[in-house]
Amino acid sequence: METSFALTGKGYVIVAADTTAARSIVKMKVDEDKIKEISPHLLMAYSGEPGDTVQFAEFVERNIRLYQIRNLYPLRPSAAASWIRRSLADSLRSRSPYSVNLLVGGYDTATHEPKLYWIDYLGTQVDVPFGAHGYGSYFALSLLDRYHDPEASLEEGLATLKRCVDEVAKRLVVSPGRYKVKVVDKDGVREVEI
Amino acid sequence: MNTFVERFTTNASNGLFCGNGAVEEDEEFSDAMWGSEAGFGSLARGVPSFTVPSVSDPAAFLRLHTDDHADPNCKIKIQHGTTTLAFRFQGGVIVAVDSRATAGSYVASGTVKKVIEINPYLLGTMAGGAADCQYWETYLGMHCRLHELRNRERISVSAASKYLSNLVYGYKGMGLSMGTMICGWDKTGPAVFYVDSDGTRLKGDLFSVGSGSTFAYGVLDQGYRWDLSDEEAQELGRRSIYAAGHRDAFSGNTCNLYHVKENGWNFIGNYDISKLHYDGPGDVAGSPGHGYGYDLRVEGRSSVNAPEAAPAVAAQA
Amino acid sequence: MSRSYDRALTVFSPDGHLFQVEYALEAVRKGTCAVGVRGKNVVVLGVEKKSVLQLQDPRTVRKVVMLDDHVCLAFAGLTADGRVLIDKARIECQSHRLTVEDPVTVEYITRHIAGIQQRYTQSGGVRPFGISTLIVGFDPHDARPRLYQTEPSGIYSAWKANAIGRSSKTVREFLEKNHKDDMTREDSIKLTIKSLLEVVQTGAKNIEISVMEEYGKVSSLELEEIERIVTEIEHEKEAEAERKRSRLAATAAGQAAMSTRAGAESSG
Repeated sequence: METSFALTGKGYVIVAADTTAARSIVKMKVDEDKIKEISPHLLMAYSGEPGDTVQFAEFVERNIRLYQIRNLYPLRPSAAASWIRRSLADSLRSRSPYSVNLLVGGYDTATHEPKLYWIDYLGTQVDVPFGAHGYGSYFALSLLDRYHDPEASLEEGLATLKRCVDEVAKRLVVSPGRYKVKVVDKDGVREVEI
Repeated sequence: MNTFVERFTTNASNGLFCGNGAVEEDEEFSDAMWGSEAGFGSLARGVPSFTVPSVSDPAAFLRLHTDDHADPNCKIKIQHGTTTLAFRFQGGVIVAVDSRATAGSYVASGTVKKVIEINPYLLGTMAGGAADCQYWETYLGMHCRLHELRNRERISVSAASKYLSNLVYGYKGMGLSMGTMICGWDKTGPAVFYVDSDGTRLKGDLFSVGSGSTFAYGVLDQGYRWDLSDEEAQELGRRSIYAAGHRDAFSGNTCNLYHVKENGWNFIGNYDISKLHYDGPGDVAGSPGHGYGYDLRVEGRSSVNAPEAAPAVAAQA
Repeated sequence: MSRSYDRALTVFSPDGHLFQVEYALEAVRKGTCAVGVRGKNVVVLGVEKKSVLQLQDPRTVRKVVMLDDHVCLAFAGLTADGRVLIDKARIECQSHRLTVEDPVTVEYITRHIAGIQQRYTQSGGVRPFGISTLIVGFDPHDARPRLYQTEPSGIYSAWKANAIGRSSKTVREFLEKNHKDDMTREDSIKLTIKSLLEVVQTGAKNIEISVMEEYGKVSSLELEEIERIVTEIEHEKEAEAERKRSRLAATAAGQAAMSTRAGAESSG
């Protein structure tokens, strides 16, 4: 089952998503990247209805890139998240809504603040210190309530993420095998191993 | 009236960047004419006028006339049972499929071509609705040719598969049923993409689609390596389809095998699944020289584990 | 007589002209000059900048713009028309990535831009874009630099080096004389500036140079860098003139000597 987590720490956001693409009982792919790097300091993890997810993520990616080319500077995380939420809300009220859940994590280079937004397919947007989507969230949220530290170093943050991943692996019936983990901080976006 | 047509008759590039002001394209000059959507615009705009039944709700219409579980006497029966597979390896792409068409519990045909030859460099496979796959992959072939003419180079497998995926995504929820692999060789080397009617599009090394796919995966996954030789790869494709044809009631009859290399695809052969079971593929590259069947493979082998001394005791008695 | 053929754009004159399109070309000829030069593995765009008014913010005036990571465009003619066309092109670049995953090729986006320009010569109620463009860049997975030009009529063509805008004919002739195949980065930049100096009298502060060295690697030269090259060119020119002068002087002196000697001989 699709699961994604994200948490903020001292000057960074970690975003993690499972890497399986399933169709009925079959895993079609086990190394699918479900986290898009939508601008130099912005990440977006997506999950939901097959087809919709990638279509919506690419649509967002190209529009945010277009903004940067037009204006010579990228959107700040808060603005990007608002725009994404709005797109989703507009689509919800159209004939063909996108059923996509998102975690948008970014580093605001102007205020030096890591930002994380939890957005669901209904267009709900919340500014959160940590968030999760999918069945994994039922395990991870309480865990993060207990262990999340806004001042945690990257190592500590990754250790907390590892707790989430391990907990889901331990308790969820059909838990995802592998996760892709990306970090965004003042230096931009990079992938890390856990 | 027709929600679908309305959706598609809006300006193509407006649709792309819908409702957010990213595009302020004037109505009378659609960029579609000028190769927006990477040159695919012009024909895509005309599509819905002839592909949607002229009824108020095409999806409901289709459901009514094709639901063979609820109504065995329904007019249209859609072919669902299938095994298709494709994988990428050092020597190109192997594409193997079975040839059975079923309509409910009835074997409608045993000689279906489930590999669609889009052009000399691209193959598509067919699972789900036969008509949907056949029609849209042929349509894809038309656009691949247009791409060649417009851009003076062959379309990449990635672009072709994306075109198909965008196309079927536009019909999402309308009753299309396709699970296909677009295989070929382009500037980047061998490539396989899985595209289905949900709009999912995945790039990968190895895929199998259809009711027999689990059986095919069982053999395929275990025998797959990147550095397979051409002969080994072809043999793996045959064996996997055989395995599915043997175990899955909705797959079988024969196996069609294709090999895509740098200079396009080659048809390797058609193999009767019963023959594969009893005699093997015959005198072809990679053949084991005997049948694939379990009974043949284990002939003369036994799991009886009698104690060592037992024969002596028997002799005494 | 010709009046009536100006009214509606879509009407040909009896001798086969579309006057509005030709007037658009006239607007291009009045625009500031832009030069493109293709080197061995580099392509350079140089433009003549209008002098900025004292209280104006120079950053808001741009004549070389990015269409995508790997394609740049410079134009000559009506700046306002340029902005609209550029925006259409930028959308197409992203749209292309969205539909086929690959970035556009330089030829593709050129053809697209030329296509839009052509469309505005064949419909009622519109006027053509009063701009010509130079489009430079690199195709994905390809090391060869590209340089294309489009015109208000919708014509597009590939070039080794070309100029558009004010005095473009002079500059093109200069380029024809001085362009060599396989120029280095330095030579390409120098040729671009040199050719621009043919029409830009005010020197470095009115020149803007953009260089693309490989796929996605674009930079624009700092003013000091351009000034350095301009002085270098001026020095070369002076040295050349000096040599010419001394050669002339030498010949003149020689001739004088000859004539005096001849005079002396005749008198002697």
